[in-house]
Amino acid sequence: MVLQLIIASLAMGIVYGLVAMGFVLIWRAVGVVNFAQGDLLMAGAYVAFTLTELEGLPMPVALVACAAIMALVGVVFHFLTYWPLRKSWDMTVIISTIGASIALKEIATLVWGPAPLSVEPIIPGIARFASVSIEWQFLVTIVIAAALMGMIFYLLEKTYIGNILQATAQDQYAAELIGIPVVVATSMTFAISALITGIGGMLISPIFFVSTTMGGSPGLKAFAAVIIGGFGSVPGAIIGGIVVGVIDTFSGAYISSTYRDAIVFLCLILALLVRPQGIFGEKISDKV
Amino acid sequence: MTLQRKIFGLVLLLLLALALTLPFTVSNYMLRVCNMTMITYMCVVSLFVIFGMAGQISFAQAGFWGVGAYISAILTVKLHVSALVALLASGLGTAAFAAILGLALFRLHGHYFGFATIGVVMILNGLFQNWKPVTGGADGIANIPPFAIGSLEFASETSLFYLIAVAVIIISIATYVIYRSSLGRAFMAIRDNEIAAKCMGVNCYQTKVIAFAISGLYCGIAGSLFAFVSSYISATSFTFMQSSLYLVMLMLGGYHSLPGPIVGTALLMMLPEWFRFLQEYILLIYGLGVMLLMVVMPDGLIGGGKQALESYRNKRKGVANVAQK
Amino acid sequence: MSPKNNPVMVLEKVCKRFGGVVAADDVSFELEPGQIRGLIGPNGSGKSTTLNLISGICDVEPGIILLDGEDITKKAIHERARMGIARTFQHPRLLSRCDIKTNLFLGHDLGNMRRASGASQEIDQSVDELLDVAGLKIGMDDSIKTLSYGQQKLLEIIRAILTKPKVFLLDEPAAGINTREMDRIRALIAIAIRNKAAVLLVEHSMDLVMSLCDIITVLNFGCVIAEGVPAEIQGNEAVIEAYLGRRRHA
Repeated sequence: MVLQLIIASLAMGIVYGLVAMGFVLIWRAVGVVNFAQGDLLMAGAYVAFTLTELEGLPMPVALVACAAIMALVGVVFHFLTYWPLRKSWDMTVIISTIGASIALKEIATLVWGPAPLSVEPIIPGIARFASVSIEWQFLVTIVIAAALMGMIFYLLEKTYIGNILQATAQDQYAAELIGIPVVVATSMTFAISALITGIGGMLISPIFFVSTTMGGSPGLKAFAAVIIGGFGSVPGAIIGGIVVGVIDTFSGAYISSTYRDAIVFLCLILALLVRPQGIFGEKISDKV
Repeated sequence: MTLQRKIFGLVLLLLLALALTLPFTVSNYMLRVCNMTMITYMCVVSLFVIFGMAGQISFAQAGFWGVGAYISAILTVKLHVSALVALLASGLGTAAFAAILGLALFRLHGHYFGFATIGVVMILNGLFQNWKPVTGGADGIANIPPFAIGSLEFASETSLFYLIAVAVIIISIATYVIYRSSLGRAFMAIRDNEIAAKCMGVNCYQTKVIAFAISGLYCGIAGSLFAFVSSYISATSFTFMQSSLYLVMLMLGGYHSLPGPIVGTALLMMLPEWFRFLQEYILLIYGLGVMLLMVVMPDGLIGGGKQALESYRNKRKGVANVAQK
Repeated sequence: MSPKNNPVMVLEKVCKRFGGVVAADDVSFELEPGQIRGLIGPNGSGKSTTLNLISGICDVEPGIILLDGEDITKKAIHERARMGIARTFQHPRLLSRCDIKTNLFLGHDLGNMRRASGASQEIDQSVDELLDVAGLKIGMDDSIKTLSYGQQKLLEIIRAILTKPKVFLLDEPAAGINTREMDRIRALIAIAIRNKAAVLLVEHSMDLVMSLCDIITVLNFGCVIAEGVPAEIQGNEAVIEAYLGRRRHA
């Protein structure tokens, strides 16, 4: 029982971690909290639904196609919400992402209808290890998400593209001066952010139903993960995601299944009060 | 300037008079929409106080709105308290709740406070949704009696309209008075430059708590009126999304000045009604419209309008100067 | 040395460290009502830090600051402001999204608060007079953004004077302004003096410091290296060395 819970919480946690990474990448690149991150997760789930259930693509193809489509969504999202407002106060971008959140939900309703849809697991059935039985979907989720995280980490830390992205995130003006095309760098960051968040949506879609509001709760929990992990830190986002996944799953199982959301956010507030800078503390200073 | 003020006052009075005759000119349905708009306006003004004036972004407002609604609902339905007492209890209770919360959360600065308020609205929503013995759980609370003062009952849409209008006017005037007072200046000093505010003798922590409590008071009253208007409340109204809509309304109207919340709320509440023929596309247009407006008028409609007026005036001044030469 | 009648503020061996860097090391001096003390020194010598320690933006560790004989070392910034410590900043910190009226009223509010508690009386000048002295011909409803840098600095000084401070700290008022505005600043400081404020002036413009100050304290690497009337300071070997570097004797 406990082992099953641990696997389940790891699976949820790693998805929260993916979405949290999406938050952090955008925050680091442009200093904006994206309130539509959860809706990008929802978009990924719908895209995955179309690819697997409607088009009947085989799993690996669907995964790559979903990633490509979500990257494109990220670029479009970037040019609609952030780019026109890049010189403006960060509040305006936040409002714009709230507008985008409403718009994304409505697009999903118009295209796929308001009724929740169900998705087959990537690998159906249950894995048995001695006396423990674990849903394959959880294991697949952990493996794919961890692989994706590893790839993003490699891309950011070890490659030339990663250096360009990080340079732009640190100082757009300076990056521009040394000849980095800032627009390419920021749109690429949004693309990566949307991609990993969308894959997160694809991974949890068999666990939950696919619906227009499915992004709300994971989006906010991922946000909680960002804060608990430490604002602006990529490893913090992953650790924070797993912490939130564990709190979420175990409080649901042992304390109260109805209050699990409330408990997660109570932990968020307590974490803020005790250690505002999060686990991987990097204090954000207020822009004066 | 004084002539302009007079004209502005006159226009305001005319609009007010026009607004007060609404019950005779519009349908019952539209009147209901107006009532909901006014209730929403109070919450947006509460955000104007804490965010527009004091610069502290809060997503807790819809939660406070819910606290006010549940206090009134529980007091009248379960404890049979008179409606007027319930209204006052909602206002003061929510203000006290906000103050206590503020004492804890204003140890956090800047963005972090805003993050914590997201937690607050999520926790409150969880409580509304699940605390069955008190909030009725997912079923909510039904059969809330109509608002009444003694034997005077406010059951019809029209009578409720006037009741809410009175509350709206009182809250607007109160906010204007605060805006012009030393307290309002202390709020704005905190918003613009916290160090400068402290050096001008402003106790920032205490002042923020006061601002939060005032915003809680407004939301509590709005929540109570909402309970009486709809006679049924459930957790689905008091969500994080609702809080972000308040923020959108404030930013669209303009967070700099008091007319901002009026314009923003009226626009976002009424437009969907006027453009009902667009049917399923209305929310999509709403979302995209918000994004577009931020690009065109980042300071909101009022802020953008003021800027346009100023640049027009400067142009005319420039022309006049050239003519003189 | 000037006669020590009745200091309103006393700094006793005030220290401040930022990590390993000593920003203030046993800084001691006194401020007297109606007197201007200049605080000079090369860049990074701890002048602004000293102002921050007095106004409470940085914590003193260790050391004692007395205001009217009362230890204010542990008091919060706003408490010190209410006790009569006013200051301006190197880069003016006005309420950038408010109009001029609101900014001035903020000073007035603190003045009222201080009068209500009996800590001060009405200042002798009206806002209009002060604006006139400052040469600010501006509309009260104009946005702060319409003011030039120099005008903002003047406005910030007026805002501080309106609180009728006992101790008035000025952080480089002359930096980045033109000569006409410099004269306006002189006039405003004179008004503060007439209102019995003790002025502490941090400034790089030797012109202003030498002509205005009654007494000067020189800091270098956080230490007081000299103190005296302008004439003494001008001829002080240690001061010249601090500014120009050690002269090589052949």
